[in-house]
Amino acid sequence: MSLIHELEALQEERGHLDAASLRDLAHRLAVPLYRLQELVSFYPHFRTEPPAALEVHVCRDMSCHVSGGAAGLRERLEAAFGDRKDVRVRETSCLGVCELAPAVRVNGTPARATDPAALAAAVADGPLPHPRAAPRAWQADPYGGDRDGAYHTFREVLARPDREAALDDVIAELEASGLRGMGGAGFPTGLKWKLVRAERAAPKYVVCNADESEPGTFKDRVILEQLPYLVLEGMMLGGLVVGAERGIVYLRHEYGAAREALTAELARARDTGWLGEDILGSGFSFDVEIFVSPGGYILGEETALLEALEDRRGEPRNKPPFPGQKGLHGRPTLINNVETFAWVPGVLAGGADAWKARGVNGCAGLKAMAVSGHVERPGVYEIPLGTTVAELIDMAGGVKDGRPLKGFAPGGASSHFLPAAKADTPIDFGALADAGSMMGSGALVVVAEGTDMLPLAANVVRFFRDESCGKCVPCRDGSQKAAAMLERAMADGTPLDAAALEKLEELLVETSICGLGYVVLNPLVSAARHWPDEFPGLGDGRGGGGGGRNGTGDGSGNGKGGAA
Amino acid sequence: MSGGRNGPAGVAAGAAAETVRLTIDGTPVEVPAGTTIWEAARAAGIEIPVLCHDPRLPPAGVCRVCLVDVGEKRLTASCVREAADGMEVATAGEKVERLRKGLVELLLSDYPVDAGGTERKTETDELRALAERYGVAWAGHGNGAAPAGRTVAVAGIPAGNGRPIDASSPVIRVDHQACILCDRCIRACDDVQVNNVIGRTGKGYATRIAFDLDDPMGASTCVACGECEKACPTGALTLVELVERPPSAPKAELARVDSVCPYCGVGCAISYYVDEAKNRIVYADGRESPVNHERLCVKGRYGFDYTAHPQRLTRPLIRREEAYPKGPLSSETASSNGRRRKPGGLVDYDEVLPHFREASWEEALELVGRRLREIREEHGPSALAGFGSAKCSNEEAYLFQKLIRAGFGTNNVDHCTRLCHASSVAALLETIGSGAVTNVFADVENADVALITGSNTTANHPVAATFIKQAVKSGRTKLIVVEPRRIEIADHAEVFLQIRPGTDVAMYNSWMHVLVNEGLIDEAYIRERTEGFEALKDLVADYPPEVAAEICGVEADEIRRAARLFGSAGAAIVFWGMGISQHTTGTDNARCLISLMLMTGNVGRPGTGLHPLRGQNNVQGASDAGLIPMVYPDYQSVADPEIRAKFEAAWGTELDATPGLTVVEIMRGALAGEIRGMYMMGENPFLSDPNTNKVRKALAALEFLVVQDIFLTETAEFADVILPATSFFEKDGTYTNTDRRVQVGRKVLDPPGEAREDWRIVCDVAATCGYPMSYGSASEVFDEFTSLAPSYAGLTYENLGLTGKLWPCPDPEAGDGIQVLFGDGFPTPNGRGKFVPRPFEPAKELPDAEYPFVLNTGRLLQHWHTGTMTRRARALHAIAPAPEVEMHPDDLSALGMADGDRATVASRRGEITLTARASRRMTPGTVFIPFHFREAAANVLTIDELDPHGKIPEFKFCAVRVRPAGDQAT
Repeated sequence: MSLIHELEALQEERGHLDAASLRDLAHRLAVPLYRLQELVSFYPHFRTEPPAALEVHVCRDMSCHVSGGAAGLRERLEAAFGDRKDVRVRETSCLGVCELAPAVRVNGTPARATDPAALAAAVADGPLPHPRAAPRAWQADPYGGDRDGAYHTFREVLARPDREAALDDVIAELEASGLRGMGGAGFPTGLKWKLVRAERAAPKYVVCNADESEPGTFKDRVILEQLPYLVLEGMMLGGLVVGAERGIVYLRHEYGAAREALTAELARARDTGWLGEDILGSGFSFDVEIFVSPGGYILGEETALLEALEDRRGEPRNKPPFPGQKGLHGRPTLINNVETFAWVPGVLAGGADAWKARGVNGCAGLKAMAVSGHVERPGVYEIPLGTTVAELIDMAGGVKDGRPLKGFAPGGASSHFLPAAKADTPIDFGALADAGSMMGSGALVVVAEGTDMLPLAANVVRFFRDESCGKCVPCRDGSQKAAAMLERAMADGTPLDAAALEKLEELLVETSICGLGYVVLNPLVSAARHWPDEFPGLGDGRGGGGGGRNGTGDGSGNGKGGAA
Repeated sequence: MSGGRNGPAGVAAGAAAETVRLTIDGTPVEVPAGTTIWEAARAAGIEIPVLCHDPRLPPAGVCRVCLVDVGEKRLTASCVREAADGMEVATAGEKVERLRKGLVELLLSDYPVDAGGTERKTETDELRALAERYGVAWAGHGNGAAPAGRTVAVAGIPAGNGRPIDASSPVIRVDHQACILCDRCIRACDDVQVNNVIGRTGKGYATRIAFDLDDPMGASTCVACGECEKACPTGALTLVELVERPPSAPKAELARVDSVCPYCGVGCAISYYVDEAKNRIVYADGRESPVNHERLCVKGRYGFDYTAHPQRLTRPLIRREEAYPKGPLSSETASSNGRRRKPGGLVDYDEVLPHFREASWEEALELVGRRLREIREEHGPSALAGFGSAKCSNEEAYLFQKLIRAGFGTNNVDHCTRLCHASSVAALLETIGSGAVTNVFADVENADVALITGSNTTANHPVAATFIKQAVKSGRTKLIVVEPRRIEIADHAEVFLQIRPGTDVAMYNSWMHVLVNEGLIDEAYIRERTEGFEALKDLVADYPPEVAAEICGVEADEIRRAARLFGSAGAAIVFWGMGISQHTTGTDNARCLISLMLMTGNVGRPGTGLHPLRGQNNVQGASDAGLIPMVYPDYQSVADPEIRAKFEAAWGTELDATPGLTVVEIMRGALAGEIRGMYMMGENPFLSDPNTNKVRKALAALEFLVVQDIFLTETAEFADVILPATSFFEKDGTYTNTDRRVQVGRKVLDPPGEAREDWRIVCDVAATCGYPMSYGSASEVFDEFTSLAPSYAGLTYENLGLTGKLWPCPDPEAGDGIQVLFGDGFPTPNGRGKFVPRPFEPAKELPDAEYPFVLNTGRLLQHWHTGTMTRRARALHAIAPAPEVEMHPDDLSALGMADGDRATVASRRGEITLTARASRRMTPGTVFIPFHFREAAANVLTIDELDPHGKIPEFKFCAVRVRPAGDQAT
């Protein structure tokens, strides 16, 4: 059992990880104490104090912030629970249920907390129901929602007599389709598979990055809940192509429903012979396990995720080497996002041309977008790439309460804000980059007129500060310095020091190890550029900070990215 | 990558064959594939600034200061990036330099102005140096917002991280605010020393380095090796010694003396930095040497200040008339007769010194000579005896035995090796004809399997242990540990067998049973290199694992697993210590280990060997030099007429043909009135020998005792004359480490008062005894010794150089000496190694209803032998100030006691009271007590039964009972 799993089991058994229990564990496993401390203190899932009977976690991040969450909400919730001593309300990072904003988790169950009194009353009546996204017909699902038909694409490839040619064809088809990584970096999927396939070392691994944690991002959760068979089939195809026998889904720990769906599908696939030894007598063996992340946004960074799988703190590695060359346990590892894997069967089933034809406005393919913030119907929308931002906002019921649109972040917290004037930008990798932002993690956060941008920008910078792993100097110290400057500006109007911010931004972008460091100041820089008057000290027409050093939109700036 | 051991850490193992060509700042460079850009630049003489990298460590790439431009979209950290063919590297463009300066500013924005600085560190404060290089203002930036002026201000950037100072360690001060999380201390702890104590706690900006579970450094499992302080590039980790007791001159002006460590048999190379004006060592630092690669342990790094202790003896002392008849002068040493006990500590000078008067050297020496001559004339030479010391140099050992043999006329000369490895040496001489190690400890890196048995390696040979831990960490070597206690190194083991004390013979007979039955033996080696295998085979047939499991208390399958792992090794090496040797079956234990290695062909090749880890810094050398009653220097038998004739010619006098008495036999002789006069050079048998109450009577019975030492020891309380000697640091001499490496210890300080070098005192005593010896220097003595010791032939002070030589050394001018011995046969009459089969025999005093626990005695990491030196070293005393008895928590609670309670431990010979410590590392039914502490002297309890061959006492096994202190004995 991995050390992280040992700690989880111990916490499950004892309720929390007290020092005496940790010393016992270290003695039993003959591991150094510091290794336990490193993990326990790094991962938010671990606690060293006993939990309250009722743990209420209040999201304080972007979508919830614009929907009235965070500090104010925590206080109102505390008031609503009154003198109940068995309740502890605390703030936490984005919960991945931005459609419920302002969102909370009550003993692990997500809930909307617009009305704290009503929530407190509902909690008093017993466990809350687990909200689930409504089922829908996914255009990208070649099986039309019929799980019994699933894995057909995989079987076709497996059945081809000339396996090598069949696998080359898979790569050729993926390359022709233009499918790109959907986790943030947008790396061409076919090329990635080709590179990992060409690696000589063995064994190889396939990892599905199901750790989406960026504020505003929750599309993968819904895909996992509703299309687990497509995700698995994508991984099976990946394993077959690159020559891996072991797949791991790295799942964020808040995604309980997704875990259930995936676990059920894994059992079904094993029972029906789709997973396991010598699948369908083909000589190919493959199985998939779920690794539940002990928490933290940075774990979505693919090398941080690998570190966690190797029982260490989730601190991104220096690259190169990339995971495709030296990944899990130093072996070639194919890592793709949930959505990327899920789209692969559909791309292969219909062929590259059919896939490309699904886009509009000259763009290719389909995209799942999480829409949150100031819209009437936040949720996950499957759109043709090329759909404009304005159209997507309309699909989501328009801007909340009919207010005018002020701006939006098209690709999650790390993407540059764009003003309302850019709402006709097609949602696609190139178009969003040209407009000065990026596709990012497929998370449109809508901001209505009347929203103050300084607190919002400060909120997002603070998120990155909180989620910085602390490994490299520029991100660890730079994010803190930037957050402190913004807090000071908010507290007493102290003008922001443009030169200092510019220096910080250059350091963050040029010297950080991973994408998180690159993007720390993106929201501030872009908001200050578009709404300079809202930023004391920057409103003299010179724009904010360095003026968007990282606004290239190629995805490399996204904290979830990685370019292997 | 596995750290400093494999040379430049930036070079990936096994990639050395290919080379890559690149240009760095326009200069063409060719380096082995796998070399990092940083290392490649360094090789080309281009220094790239960096904070988080140290060539001794695997790189981390976290400070980002070493970023360079390789023409990619992003800059790359040169310390982690491998050089590639055709790469064009620019190390210092305008942008890169601007970013470096920015990073330094960012770090300084949180940096306390009053932290660190090179003057408080072993190494340079590299952050401060970079600040100067980039012109970032350092001091003079008062910042009202920062806590109490502690932080350097950088324009526009909020200051201060508010982290605390941890002053809990007596040796290292941790200023978390000055920490830049460069990770160097963590890697130094993990990868260099493999102590695995330091990590990071928290996340993001709240991250700090942490010890264990974020415990204070001084309360953690930190062993204070100091490697972290040495690795730290800022004022985060500084030396308490330099902070609290700054020298009278800047660090750069201190004198540096390259010498070796005075403590254990590892013999680490050390540079001592000396405040000459104050005649004081300011700090010590590890030197590069095959022995320690700059690493040190807590004793070597921080344990040198005993030499400047005010209690040093500075003038000869003569016992006053009224202090006769002789007995112990300290009330507390009178053991369990109900008299007043002091809370602890060393010999009380106020109590003991008044019984002596100061004398001139002339008077003292005259008295010594006269009384020793009188005894010899009246009772014959065999009424005299001498104890030399394994802490003295080869020269002193040589001269001392020469004096006893040639001057006194007796072979009654022995030393404390008798108490540590006499049985090992007896077995080795009997089976392979040589008592020394067959290979050096560092060669463990070439072993597939290392067996550690009866050795608490991390405590007693800490730096040797780092080599073993590194070998295990590298994945190359699998470790098997066989021990009654789950000692720390067992945490690194593939297989750990927690055996009942004293059952080693059964255990290894059983391994051999498995190896024979499963064909895991080297038949060709047995056929060509050994004799007596059939008898061994017959004997071990009686020891199937099920039988051994009963005796040893270990599952039979675990015994099989260990034996198979061992037997499947292409190369295996064994390390053993007192846990093997200090038994009445000590010689048998060693014979079994030797048989095990011979049977599997594991002697005489790289990665193989027999390595009894030598305890004191010169155990090997003192034995080599002849401080053994049966042999002259280099193990030449006193009973052999030809050899005797050679020494008679060399020493110009007739020599006694009878082998002399051993340590415990001499004490018995004193009690019996057969030994009447003794000369002790640096030995303290009162604490080191078994059954203290008997030793006390023996010492009191001596007619005349002269003690030569640097402090007033417990033994000196019985002396007639005490001669003030020099400490290790006040003289030149050679010392031979556990590897057979002969190294020069150089004079670092001037001796206090009238203290004299030991070898000069020996000559002075010789002169008064009518056997004048005259030498101009220690090296002259060394030359005489090497002329009579073939193994040392050719060695001189000059060719020993800075890192010494291994004996034998056929080419001392060019070679380092022979590392692996006996590749082509053994120094036995027929060149073969001999199997000596031995059946299991239990220890002499087994636990029973009255005395239900087994007592195990031994050492602590921080202390040394009888504590005379280490208990006077400030840091060592602060870390381990008092005796404790370790017991399994279940045993303790069964006695109604808790951790920290006072416990009285009693054997049939006496009892002591000390603090009880609960430890899950103990086997239930056993207790462990270190023997360093006179106030609870473990040897009050031990039994003076001897191994019949090695004459070593059974320090590791006797029966005791335990009760809460204050309860009446039952």
